[in-house]
Amino acid sequence: MRINDRVFGMLMLILAVAYGWEATQFPIPFGGHESVGPETFPIMLSIILGISSIYMIVRPDPDEKWAPSAMLIELSIVVLAMLAFAWAIEPVGFMPAAALVVSFLSWRMGASIAKSLITGVTSSVVIFFLFNNVLELALPLGLLEF
Amino acid sequence: MDTMSLLMQGFAVALTPESIMFAVIGAILGTLIGALPGLGPANGVAILIPLAFSLGLSPTSSLILLTSVYAGAMYGGRISSILLNIPGDEPAMMTCLDGYPMAVKGKAAEALAISAIASFIGSFIATIGLVILAPILAKFALRFGPSEYFALFALAFATLGGITGKNQFKTLMAAAIGLMIASVGIDISTGVQRFTFGTLELFEGVDFIIAIVGLFAISELLFFLERHAGDGLKQIAVNKLKLSAKDIIQVLPASFRGAVLGFVAGVLPGAGASLGSFVSYTLEKRFSDKGEFGKGDPRGVAAPEAGNNGAASGALVPMLTLGVPGSGTTAVLLAMLVSLNISPGPMLFQQNADLVWGVIAAMFVGNFVLLLLNIPMVGIFVKLLSIPPKYLMPIVTLIASVGIYSVSHSALDLYFMVGFGVLGYIFRKIDIPLVPIILGMLLGPEMEKSLRHALVLSDGDWTVLFNSGLSIGLWTVAMLGLILPMIIGPMVRAKMARAKISEKDD
Repeated sequence: MRINDRVFGMLMLILAVAYGWEATQFPIPFGGHESVGPETFPIMLSIILGISSIYMIVRPDPDEKWAPSAMLIELSIVVLAMLAFAWAIEPVGFMPAAALVVSFLSWRMGASIAKSLITGVTSSVVIFFLFNNVLELALPLGLLEF
Repeated sequence: MDTMSLLMQGFAVALTPESIMFAVIGAILGTLIGALPGLGPANGVAILIPLAFSLGLSPTSSLILLTSVYAGAMYGGRISSILLNIPGDEPAMMTCLDGYPMAVKGKAAEALAISAIASFIGSFIATIGLVILAPILAKFALRFGPSEYFALFALAFATLGGITGKNQFKTLMAAAIGLMIASVGIDISTGVQRFTFGTLELFEGVDFIIAIVGLFAISELLFFLERHAGDGLKQIAVNKLKLSAKDIIQVLPASFRGAVLGFVAGVLPGAGASLGSFVSYTLEKRFSDKGEFGKGDPRGVAAPEAGNNGAASGALVPMLTLGVPGSGTTAVLLAMLVSLNISPGPMLFQQNADLVWGVIAAMFVGNFVLLLLNIPMVGIFVKLLSIPPKYLMPIVTLIASVGIYSVSHSALDLYFMVGFGVLGYIFRKIDIPLVPIILGMLLGPEMEKSLRHALVLSDGDWTVLFNSGLSIGLWTVAMLGLILPMIIGPMVRAKMARAKISEKDD
């Protein structure tokens, strides 16, 4: 199958056109037009991206196999967990957030629940004290602050 | 001043207790990272950059730390090649061919020791090469004007796919994407906002450190989940080391040849460490094989290890003197320099002589540290391989995120990091190389500046880009770099594949 490259090439072609069009819309800089303005280089880039996208559509490589859909869902859950960690680091605090995300990741990679929890809690506590006390980079305490 | 006295001054910088401490820490961390299957030097340096940055280390200390990590990871890569038959990164692949059979025959300790000695010889000779070649090249590059620089940047992208590059259009595409990301933000020369959509956070552009960690480290985690989730790796037990002087002497010629070949491959644009180890192995095989290669010949371990470590130091030559990195890891190191407000290139050797020579001297020191670490203490690194990745990978990911968070204490950077991780995963699935993207983000501003500079000086006459012998030469090499791989690439890949298959047949 040679679908991946075609689809991706089309997306990139759209990006190239949108990017190039946006570049032509830049406001004229103070002092009027120059022979080379802020739009010159971006327009060159959109042409290069356009040409390589068209090549990809016309002569696609064979597809690399995507993971089965169960695995894709799994990967999406992992990505969501990392986003949740990013959201939680300030309001909830580094230690609980990190302990949860590390435990979750270990568990999803196949560790038992108990061992995952031990890994998560130990690593987050060690890294917290290493960063805050040894390296003096303040990580947020969050809920543990009182 | 001549090179020797500059180098001596460098040693004065490199032999301070602080520098030695950073070299030792870097060497240990690097070896650990390199030993882990799946994590290579580029990942290692990428994970540590935000840390070095947020710790506020001096430029010299950060560079010493990161070059030691780089060298250490090149050393460490051989451990998983020999014991697990899994190369940590592409250049370590050739070490599997004879290293793993040696381990299977119960000579794991010998294979590890020989590869450490060969790595040392490779790095050491290549660092001497760097000392000799870098100042000459830097002096030569002082003659470059803006149009030559523009051609040089084009050459860097054109040759990035390397001799073995698969689809040159994908390299071009990746470079364009990287350069496009670099164009986001306020245009320095006119103050016009470009592609910011009025978002305040985008005024200063996208931070490449975040992109590097996302593209390399986070996407690696996703790949790891997909491939290895759960399964344990079977590791070969390490025997007691029995290495005689005769064994060492036997592999010395192979190591020296590998070191020189690797250095040359490292300096040449587009060749890099993978080709360094490949060429060293194949030539050594042609030179001294009497049918033992592929079945655990020590020389087959020494040659590619010397080659890939030699190439690693060789790749620093164009990075330091021209500001044009030839490999993923040197691109990451360049990112470090740029974020410390140091612009690599010929001027570096004049304006920051202390720093450059300090770092070069530190590489010599780091090499000795690595040799000392790797012979007696290899057991500790081997132990690490028995920790299942299901515990290790999440912790590595956590450390990477902490580094990113500490740079500006903003959760937004973490969202960006995850976003780049997903992009990196998709790009790798479609075979879009990641290094040109990083390089585009790094070199974009400078490349655009030289283009505009050249065109303003010539009053908008585009022929200025091709009107000196030097720039025509650079454009020619760039075109060759783009076209040659389409012809040579399939041949080299077929050979590499055959080497692998014949090894499996035995």
